[in-house]
Order: sequence, then C-alpha cells, then structure tokens
Amino acid sequence: MTAPYPRQRSNAWYLANWPYRLFMLRELSAVFLALYTVLLLLLVRKVHAGPAAFAGYVDTLQSPLLIAVHVVVMAFALLHSVTWFQAVPKGLPIRRGEEPVPPQLVIGANYVLLLAVTVIVVVVVRV
Amino acid sequence: MTNIATAEQTVTLEIARYRPGVDQRPTLQRYDVPYREEWVVLDALNYLKDRVDGSLSYRWSCRMGICGSCGMMVNGAAKLTCAAFLRDYLPGPIRIEPLSNFPVERDLVIVLDDFMEKLTAIKPWIIRDEEQPIEQGEYRQTPAQLADFKQYSMCINCMLCYAACPVYQHEEQFLGPAVLALAQRYNHDSRDQGNADRYELIWSDEGIWDCTFVGECSAVCPKHVDPAGAIQQAKVESTLGWYRSFIAPFGRR
Repeated sequence: MTAPYPRQRSNAWYLANWPYRLFMLRELSAVFLALYTVLLLLLVRKVHAGPAAFAGYVDTLQSPLLIAVHVVVMAFALLHSVTWFQAVPKGLPIRRGEEPVPPQLVIGANYVLLLAVTVIVVVVVRV
Repeated sequence: MTNIATAEQTVTLEIARYRPGVDQRPTLQRYDVPYREEWVVLDALNYLKDRVDGSLSYRWSCRMGICGSCGMMVNGAAKLTCAAFLRDYLPGPIRIEPLSNFPVERDLVIVLDDFMEKLTAIKPWIIRDEEQPIEQGEYRQTPAQLADFKQYSMCINCMLCYAACPVYQHEEQFLGPAVLALAQRYNHDSRDQGNADRYELIWSDEGIWDCTFVGECSAVCPKHVDPAGAIQQAKVESTLGWYRSFIAPFGRR
C-alpha cells in the first residue's frame, strides 16, 4: 500500500528566492502608486480651495516625512514601470512574418513613448 | 581506462528519502560520490543506485533533455537532472529533492496524476469539425502559421514549471503553466478547429485567470516554451473574446 507524502505549501514562499521577492515587490508597487494618487487628489482639492490652501499643502509636502514618502513612492514607481515594460513583449509579442520582433525593441519603444509623454507634460505645465 | 570507484575528488549529495508507509516525512541522506567534470546530477544518482544504495528511487529515461522524466529540485531550483552539471554546484553539498508542489510517491519520485488529468482536460490534440479526405492531401501550413505555435509544441511535460509556480503551490485546481501553454499550442494551430471546446476551461478561474504572472515557469523551462508568455497572451485573447461576446452574444468567439 502506498501513502504518498502530501504536497507542501509555504506561507513564506516569496522569501525562497530573488525572483519571488521581486515579484512581490512588483505587486506591492501598486499599493504605493495608489497612495500617491491620494496625495495627488488632495492636491487637486487644495487647488480648488484657493491659493492659500494650495500654498499650505505645498508647505506640508515639504515635511521630511512626506519627502521620505515621495522617495519611497518614486522607487516603487520606477520598479513598477521597469518590470511592466519588461513584461510587454510577453503579453503582446509582435511577429513580422516568421521572425519575431526582438523583445528589446518592443520594450525600448515603451521607454521612448514614456519619454515623449513626459516631454509633452513638462511643456504643457510650463506654458 | 579510468576506474570511477577510485576517483579522489568527491562531492557530497544530500538526497531526500521517503519510504511510503514507513517514514512520517522525507529526510535527507548524505552520500559522497566521485566528482567528474562531465557528470550531471543524474549520473551521480545512477552511480549511487548502481554501486552504493540500490533502494534509491527516482525517474529517468533518455538522459538528454527530451523525455522530461528526471526533473528534481537541485539546491531548491527545479532542474532536469540530466542537464544539471555537478561542476556548477561545487564545492557542494548538493541537495536533491523531489519536484516541489507535488505529493511524493517515494524518495525523488512524485505523484503526477494531477498533471496528467489536467493535460487531457484541455484536449491537447488537433480537433477538426470535419476531417479532410485523404485524397485532398495533407493539411498545409505556411512557415508563419507554424511560427504561431511551434515554440509551445516544444514542451516535454517535465513539470518543472509546476514546481516553480507559487500559484499552483497554493491553488491546486490551477491548470498550471505547461497545460495552458499546450492549450495555446493547439488553439494557435491553423489545422485545429477546437478552440470552442477548450476556451471555457482555459478562460475560467482555474485557467489563465488564476495566474498572477510570477514568471518563474518560463525561467525554469528547459525548452524555452515560455508558458508565462502564453498565459498572458491567452488573457489578452480572453479579454477580447469577452468584449466580442458582449457586442455579438451569439457570434463565434
């Protein structure tokens, strides 16, 4: 009679290796981006409330704690962008005839697009 | 001729042993094997079974990366042991365990019934509405049509991707990487007309939507099948199919 040893699961599976840890950080990045949208929405609200409220909010944002929050959010935003750009050719592979378009080209196109959008936003804000 | 039994340099293997009905849980047993630069882990296991301990159980067949039988965890990573060279794990010890996320039958042998059932569930064969008469010749394909699925047809069912998949570890009902990649292999085959027979299962919660895109299935795949890519592409197709069913509820998906 056989009695197989049952399959095992670990609640700490994501600590097992670096790809798993990176996956968890990638997923966690969404939480930090959501946090940042809250800060942005508050900003919109303060703009609506008038120049005094806006100036007060800008003052608040300059507190060491909120600067630290921004640094952390920025790090996660970068991780988010890099990892998802990296994933694009997996979900949307492009082929020309039989030959696949190199994934690096697809990823590169995303960075170019990001740069273009950033430039447009900066120009619009300056005007 | 070199006598391997008198070789000087040795490497230590820590091998998981489990005797059903006797052991409560697997234990590690240490063995010293002669070190050979050209030896893979499977060679060391064969040496042990032939000369040291005949009770050691493991699966293997072709020892050239085609049969997909010798998948095990080598130092915690899913590997074909016929392609894992001892020299890459020096100085050791090298830990050999059965593939993760499966029940253990004995020692390094896993129970693969779950995988087999899922494999047949997605109908991994060419389905035709109507067979073309033999007089009309073979079903022809352009190189571009072949390129659409060829990569997925390289799967050897070694199940390394299941051992690397944390989703499968936690959700046993998940169809898993290899099966979903094979579903793409047939759905994308221009000769196949069986998409309608497959999509309900593939597009279900147990199918592609259980996947959180960890991506390790593709990293461990010895045949570069890229199941993670296949699943993400199926997600795109499933989403488009959902929108199509919304616009034209009675149309073909």
